[in-house]
Amino acid sequence: MRDLPQSRDLLGLARELLLEELLPLLPPERARDAHLIATTMAIAVREAAGGQGWREEIIGLLNAFYGESGSLLRLAADLRKGAFETSPSRMAAARAILWRLTIEKLREGNPRFLAANGFPAGDKDG
Amino acid sequence: MAATALPRSEAGPADRQRALARFLAEASGAGAVEIARIALLPGGAIQENWAIDAEFDGGRLAGAQRLVLRADAATGVPSSLGRVEEFAVLQAAFAAEVTVPEPLFACANPAVLGKPFFVMRRVSGSALGRPITLDPGLEAARPAIAERLGRELARLQTIHPPRGDLAFLPSYDGSVRQIGEFRAYLDRHPNPRPVLEWALRWAETHLPDRLPPVLCHRDFRTGNYLLEGTQLTAILDWEFAGWGDPDEDIGWLCCKGWRFGRLDREVGGIAERAPFYRGYESASGRRLDPERVKFWEIFANIRWAVIALQQSDRYLIGGARSLSTAITGRRATECELELLMLLDLDGARKRTAADA
Repeated sequence: MRDLPQSRDLLGLARELLLEELLPLLPPERARDAHLIATTMAIAVREAAGGQGWREEIIGLLNAFYGESGSLLRLAADLRKGAFETSPSRMAAARAILWRLTIEKLREGNPRFLAANGFPAGDKDG
Repeated sequence: MAATALPRSEAGPADRQRALARFLAEASGAGAVEIARIALLPGGAIQENWAIDAEFDGGRLAGAQRLVLRADAATGVPSSLGRVEEFAVLQAAFAAEVTVPEPLFACANPAVLGKPFFVMRRVSGSALGRPITLDPGLEAARPAIAERLGRELARLQTIHPPRGDLAFLPSYDGSVRQIGEFRAYLDRHPNPRPVLEWALRWAETHLPDRLPPVLCHRDFRTGNYLLEGTQLTAILDWEFAGWGDPDEDIGWLCCKGWRFGRLDREVGGIAERAPFYRGYESASGRRLDPERVKFWEIFANIRWAVIALQQSDRYLIGGARSLSTAITGRRATECELELLMLLDLDGARKRTAADA
């Protein structure tokens, strides 16, 4: 059992301290560095909060797609070969996995970019 | 980060400064050169740019001069030119009347500063992306800046092979070789990137008709040109230049990764396409084909994704202790979203409509 508060909560507090109290004290040429650190902390918070959930779902989708043990490596290799180009339904199913993977990565990595492009940044992708 | 020591070498900072002063004096024909100030300029993930204020005693630069010295950073990316080669490209662009800092001297001898470098005039202005795309004071001027960029690009494209002074640039044999290079990189990358694989397959099966190659900047974008007020004063950072397709730089400039908070403005976050296209077409006499530009925009997103991953490699493999460099690889997923949006319009509509 780890002690409380959890690391993601501590990171959140640390980020607030950085942006609200330390950033105004920094010379302007270091502001970008402070924002980079804040961004890094935010990614870490979101990844810690997200756990393994969506990755397990992607593996489930890949297994269902292949009807056996699937992987992103196999999907990547098949897409390179154009393996699904003669089957619109297979290609559509492969594209759905690509969308899901990309949206989930951005929900952790850059939800603002996702939202700026018109995608829901918080809820599950359909 | 500001600093006052020149690029690292076995010699100390004072020795290097003296060596640089001697080099500048010899190269310019001055009796002596006194360096008053040296400071590392911000930015430059791959190269180091040093601002130098120097007094030349006679010679072709007699008097006080504001210069920039450009040298390799500690780690680079594979597709970057060497500094002496970049200097030759800059000379060619300058001669073609592209708005660039005047190239002055190149030094291939590592005995001077520990690595090759070149020196150019320092031009006033700022290249910071967000002020350029977001400053309300630039609002009225942005279409004219875009049109000017179009004319600049057309001027650059008056340079085409063969050129003896640019003989070091690899010949251009279409994008097939680049697709192969991207795939070879992905084969070495630890994480599979199926979106990039799908996009590369699309590119491979949708190659546009070949046009005669021209000199491409290959990083022609917001963030790489200087504005002084509303005036474009220089196009910078020629380290990726090479022979390529005339639409390649256009696709890169319009790539979403370079819109700096104004995703709606498709030309570098500053304007719609119309003024840029107008400037380019009027200066080049070539009408742009939207389908060709779309191919190169997709290609730009693939390339930017690979470069972003390579930037992270500088930390993961090269050991560069830079947060800015290490975190850049995360941007590859932004390119992948854009690729999905460009290649699967229905899928994008379905998923964005879910939010409505």
